[in-house]
Amino acid sequence: MSQVVAITLNTFRETIRDRVLTVIVLFALVMIVGGLWLGSISLEQQGRMMKDFGLVSVTAFGVVVAAFIAATLVRKEVEKRTVFVLFSKPVSRGAFIVGKFLGLAATLAVVIGGMGAFLFVMTLLVGGGASGMLLAATALIYLQVLVLTAVVVFFSTITSAILSSMLGLGVFVAGQLSHNVLSLSRIGADVATEAVSWVVFVVIPNFNSVDVKAAAVGEKAVDWAEIALWGGYLVAYMVVALGAAALVMRRKEF
Amino acid sequence: MHGAANSSGMGARSSSDIAIDLCDLRKTVTVGFRRRHVDILRGVDLSVRKGDVFGLIGPNGAGKTTTIKVALGLMRPTSGVVSLGVCGLGEVGYLPENPYFYDYLSGREFLVFCGRLFGLGPEQRRARADDLLDGVGLKASASVHLRKYSKGMLQRIGIAQALINDPRLLLLDEPMTGLDPIGRLEVKRLIQRLHSEGRTVLFNSHVLADVGELCTRIAIMKAGRIAWAGTVDEALALSPQGLEAFFMHVVESEA
Amino acid sequence: MRRLVAVAVLVLAMTVVAAYQATRPERAAGDPRVFVPTAGFFEDFSPSFRTSIADAYYLYMVQYYGEHIEADGRLDSMAELVDLVTQLSPRFIKAYQFGVFALLDAGEGQAAYQILQRGIEANPDEWRLPALAGFLMYRYGQGETKNQVAADWYARAAAVPGSPVYLERLAATLTAKGGEREKAQLMWAQIYADGDKYSRAKAVTELDALLSTNPAVRANELNAVREAMSLKTFGMLLRDLGIEG
Repeated sequence: MSQVVAITLNTFRETIRDRVLTVIVLFALVMIVGGLWLGSISLEQQGRMMKDFGLVSVTAFGVVVAAFIAATLVRKEVEKRTVFVLFSKPVSRGAFIVGKFLGLAATLAVVIGGMGAFLFVMTLLVGGGASGMLLAATALIYLQVLVLTAVVVFFSTITSAILSSMLGLGVFVAGQLSHNVLSLSRIGADVATEAVSWVVFVVIPNFNSVDVKAAAVGEKAVDWAEIALWGGYLVAYMVVALGAAALVMRRKEF
Repeated sequence: MHGAANSSGMGARSSSDIAIDLCDLRKTVTVGFRRRHVDILRGVDLSVRKGDVFGLIGPNGAGKTTTIKVALGLMRPTSGVVSLGVCGLGEVGYLPENPYFYDYLSGREFLVFCGRLFGLGPEQRRARADDLLDGVGLKASASVHLRKYSKGMLQRIGIAQALINDPRLLLLDEPMTGLDPIGRLEVKRLIQRLHSEGRTVLFNSHVLADVGELCTRIAIMKAGRIAWAGTVDEALALSPQGLEAFFMHVVESEA
Repeated sequence: MRRLVAVAVLVLAMTVVAAYQATRPERAAGDPRVFVPTAGFFEDFSPSFRTSIADAYYLYMVQYYGEHIEADGRLDSMAELVDLVTQLSPRFIKAYQFGVFALLDAGEGQAAYQILQRGIEANPDEWRLPALAGFLMYRYGQGETKNQVAADWYARAAAVPGSPVYLERLAATLTAKGGEREKAQLMWAQIYADGDKYSRAKAVTELDALLSTNPAVRANELNAVREAMSLKTFGMLLRDLGIEG
């Protein structure tokens, strides 16, 4: 347990340093300029525009940070051979994976939390009716980004950093289209296509089960039960991805 | 010269006396696009007694580093048995070759991190870290980021992290690399002190003079096997011209 | 010497870049016919970004309107744009409100009415849309039954909890003869209260024409329409009408 904590803190320290603050500042600037400009061209719909595009920005930034930093987390340790220091001590491969993941998760909490808080304040300032739903939407975006992180960490145990990032982004897009795969599986011409589609549907993370952005701008009613269920699914998916990564690490040699 | 018959270099021993026991260790890896098989270890038999200062020497590519990695579990043997006479990695200290550590941590932060990995409590790990920094002469640089450490300093912090858990068994891969004469002297003194404390030390080195000075037993590796093992005195008895000559003879004569 | 030359070249290049951009002619209004994907295309695509796409097209729609209404007055693709935005985001009230007036300007009153009806079905708890439908029918509708239809819409709007009191009055009096000016004033006041800069401008023009030229009567009439808006908005209206205090 203390190994997981040690690696988590270490990874947090490693990832929080330079990139994060730049991302937050960049996001803040984009939000300020964008929000003010949008207000002027939207016929006083600043509140809605700020919330909607703000959440899209949080998602985009979160996905980019997750895809690119998660891909190097494991790789860097192997390439720089700091893994020797770790695995010559009583540190399990699983503890290593979980610790790296949690460390980045902590950094992402700071990044996404920071962006979400800033978005909340900006929405308040333009009189857009910032509500708890906005914060809930941010929290759900955070969970999705964590799932993506776990997937990218898994990829990074089997392939290069660049490829892991690209695959991660691909999975994110695929996850947005998850429902399409389901329809495919149901209109399948034969059992084989249906079965394959169904497998693909289960394997790809479902990133659009609940439309949180629509709920945040008041387009849809909030179903907390659905959200809770989806949240649970996302956590379970994370566990599976990390478990797979840990299994791969166990087979690895250094 | 003796071949495989005497490669373990000792008679029967009770297992509680043995710190490291490697039995017919083989390691094959696949290299390159065509998946070419390369035998790195071809049946290594090695026994290190508790309390020994054991020197593992051999030409480049002989398999010394691989042997240590397999002993530690960083690599899995293709076949053969590894036994460590300690309770587990919790009692082992390891210094890798050309060590690299986390850039963004200071010397102290790094040692505290390592202490945490062994489950040491907060007070304990801070105290150990400070003691070790003092012991390896890095007290002044304790708060400096590792990124700014010279090679010699990295080597010393590497030794410090190998000792953080007060290990009974130490595996040091080229511990004297990159050190100036003063540094090398300090490391030698350190190894002698560890020996006097009853710990077991196994180290690789290219510098035969150091090996001759420090080691109780040595093994010469060549092409993935132990070509010869025994005490330094035995070696010198067989080759009065000195350890270097003995080494050259062993390395050049085996088929 | 070489350094000086390098700096000179750099400055020259920067000047060229700035000068070129500065001398580009004003962009003529683009083609009034633009490609607008159907809502179906986006619905298959990505449900969690539906509102974002609707918002992007909303902004595009507003820009499209602004660009063409002054320049060539042609709003050929207005109906498709309003349709797309309201289908992707059926609860985006502003899109209907803006869309209706934009479509009227495009000469597509029928389309406006149909889209508005869809919006009313999707937003049963919103009184502004049926009120808008009533206005639309009353002001721009044709046929003998238009007043009755308008009255029905106002009645429906009045039935929504939280709707203003005067809606009932409008519903009741629309089919009766007389008081046309007062009814129209109230409706335009409502448009002003809810509207964006474009519909407010229209409302001001219409109200100015509807209000009496006699200052005393005008003041009374303005008082009557005050109930359609907040105090702050009323202040804005007075300023827009060029009235002090």
